[in-house]
Amino acid sequence: MAEEFNTDSMLSMFLYESGQLLEQLEGIILDKQDEDCFDDADINEIFRVMHTIKGSSAVLMYENITKVAHKLEDVFYYLRESHPDDVPHLELVDKVLAVSDFVTGEMDKIKDGDNPDGDETQLVEDLDEFLSRIKGEIKKQGIRLPKENKHEEPSQFYITPVAENDSHFYRIVIHYRDDTQMSNIRAYSATYALKELAEDLLYSPEDILTNEDSSNTILMEGFHILLQTKSSKEEILDLIDSSEAEKIDIEEMTANEYGRGLVEFGMGDPSEFIHLEEEKKEVKVQKSTQKPAPGDYIVKAKETGKGKTLAKNQHKQQTIISVNVEKMDALMDLIGELVIAEAVVLQNPDLKVPGLELGNFQKASAQLSKITTELQEVIMSMRMMPLTNVFQKMKRIVFDVSRKLDKDIELEVIGENTEVDKNIIEHISDPLMHLVRNSVDHGIEENTNDRIKLGKPEKGKITLEAKNEGGKVYISVRDDGKGLNKEKLYNKALANGLIEDRPMSDFQDREIFRFITLPGFSTKEEVTEYSGRGVGMDVVVKNIQSIGGRLDIDSVEYEGSEMTLVIPLTLAIINGIVVQVGNSSFVIETASIKEFVRMDNDALVQEPGGEEYIVLRDECFPFIRLNERYNLSGSADNIEDGIVVVLEHEGNQVCILIDKLIQEQEIVVKPIPSYVKKVNGISGCTQLGDGSIALILDIAGLMLTEERR
Amino acid sequence: MKILLAEDDFASRKFMDKQLSRYGECDVMVDGEEAVDAFMMALEDDEPYDLACLDVMMPVMDGYQVLKAIRNIEAQKGIPKEKCVKVIMTTALNDERNVKMAFELGCEAYAGKPLDVEKFEKVLKRLKLI
Repeated sequence: MAEEFNTDSMLSMFLYESGQLLEQLEGIILDKQDEDCFDDADINEIFRVMHTIKGSSAVLMYENITKVAHKLEDVFYYLRESHPDDVPHLELVDKVLAVSDFVTGEMDKIKDGDNPDGDETQLVEDLDEFLSRIKGEIKKQGIRLPKENKHEEPSQFYITPVAENDSHFYRIVIHYRDDTQMSNIRAYSATYALKELAEDLLYSPEDILTNEDSSNTILMEGFHILLQTKSSKEEILDLIDSSEAEKIDIEEMTANEYGRGLVEFGMGDPSEFIHLEEEKKEVKVQKSTQKPAPGDYIVKAKETGKGKTLAKNQHKQQTIISVNVEKMDALMDLIGELVIAEAVVLQNPDLKVPGLELGNFQKASAQLSKITTELQEVIMSMRMMPLTNVFQKMKRIVFDVSRKLDKDIELEVIGENTEVDKNIIEHISDPLMHLVRNSVDHGIEENTNDRIKLGKPEKGKITLEAKNEGGKVYISVRDDGKGLNKEKLYNKALANGLIEDRPMSDFQDREIFRFITLPGFSTKEEVTEYSGRGVGMDVVVKNIQSIGGRLDIDSVEYEGSEMTLVIPLTLAIINGIVVQVGNSSFVIETASIKEFVRMDNDALVQEPGGEEYIVLRDECFPFIRLNERYNLSGSADNIEDGIVVVLEHEGNQVCILIDKLIQEQEIVVKPIPSYVKKVNGISGCTQLGDGSIALILDIAGLMLTEERR
Repeated sequence: MKILLAEDDFASRKFMDKQLSRYGECDVMVDGEEAVDAFMMALEDDEPYDLACLDVMMPVMDGYQVLKAIRNIEAQKGIPKEKCVKVIMTTALNDERNVKMAFELGCEAYAGKPLDVEKFEKVLKRLKLI
């Protein structure tokens, strides 16, 4: 409360604003003093400045400022309305400067806490005289006088509090004589007496009235009081009944020390005081970040021994600062480097020397790993942002597009508070926009009769939903429109030569739906402003894949379709398993590994075309030999010597052959340097503990190249 | 003149009561809800208040809520603007945002505590109460 007594923010706001306006005013004047006249923009500006100063000074009841500002405003009102020629420019400049000086002078007085008592009569008379001359001039020039500048009396006033001396802060310790009876009551009467001059009062022990045992504490430790007041030490001493007191210590302290409360002095229950302090901070934060509203200032019923608390203080308020994203990115990178460095240390080849006693090292390294993991989690959570803004945009798009296409569509948004990494938000905004547009344009029927026939409500509905599940974010765009027609998709894909000539029954539903994501595919016959240009879905998929996500498409004809973006929560660090093939290390994302198996040669099926398949539990999977694919030497050719890893991506499975498993670890994904040609099936690289480089396998890419072969 | 004073702090209440009693009959309330009740009662008895001085930090309802409630009641009863009670907020909460909000809620004046008695009287004159 201390600040509120000493400074009046209403007043400082007035001073600040008016100061700015006056500076602006003088800027204009000094700029134009050598010219012949002010131009319209200047006149308007000066008029506005004076009008504002007049208004705010009237609310604060600085009448002399109001009058002067009002007069000058009048002058510029006539100049603005009638544009008279031959205005004595220099004189006008003088007048404006005089007013500006006057107001500045008065404001200085207010700043110093004095009453702005400057005499304005002379200045007002001068301005009056000047004004009537201008009016005369206007008449002479035959311009009609505009109607009087209507001056609205302010109807609301602000009464500034009386200026006060600065507060002093004291720490008082009263030691009562050991045989004092009921020292708690004495202590209470002391606080009661002090209340008269106190602006703020804290004491310890707190429960002097309700807890009789507190008298013992007072006798033992003395009774501690923190007092904020304008009075002097002597006045305070006079108030405290000293008949039973052995010693009264009064010490002046700074506001800062005072703010730290009693804790500093090792008294009272520290947790409680810290708590109080926190509350105070929270109140301040609220003030600066939130607009007050009625109901914020309800005083909770008093509890004994406690001061007033505001209802709003009860909630824990989050303090928020804004940080430059670049700094966050830098921190993120550094933490990535840290994770690598940690691996380099913990898995250092030097440790592999036989006979080393590593017990303590292992303990310490476990601790280090824990901290780096937590560090990662914290930086991740710092970068999390709710999808609210993105979804807000989508609302706008649905509104705009549906209006333009004359479709009646309702948008439901679920889970807009779901948080994802900031980078991801940047990447999904465009794809999501595409999907939403598609739903509005292609999804919902053009003709409401079609909907009614199918027993659907006239109004189309699009649902935008985001949820967070198992380290992934699911964002789906669902419409209850006409859905996808499999036959149409198949025929179209066939016609455009996007797929091999295989019967439709060869494809699963999802595969057929995925045709729409192939480049150069558009089922819509005509192209509209919003979608159907054939670019779109493939770009969407590409964008999503670039951040390690995927697009799931589900649809039932006549009932609607659902497009779901599945995106990893974060980009930079994945949990992976390091495997070895020949002399090279690869990393496979743990989530995409189904199983590791040892296989016999019998399980291998070789097609005449050279493709190989593995039959596992009566299921057949494509088989990729990484050593062949990437021309690696020195690795197992016989599948009985290696390990078969079953990988899954988007419901498709593929098997690869590796030599051995190294370990599971957190992998910091680094892009493949640009001087390396793009390699299919590799999405990035990372540095391992021994300093070597491991390539990160991109399952989707691996499958794609396998299909193409 | 009939005055409604809502103030929960004893010392301020006593001071304000003393000040206001010079201008007319002053009813003293200790919390926001009581203030609204008293305001309603006065309206029903057809002896409405001319002036209401409201503290902001009060139990049950704060001053802003009381102000809002009063203006709502008046609007609902269709009381013409010139007959509406004049409201002066009296509080140490003189943050610019708080003051603006109070003005938006429709108070006539906002007095920072400690009260400047001279200015207060001036405002009463401007509001044509005395």
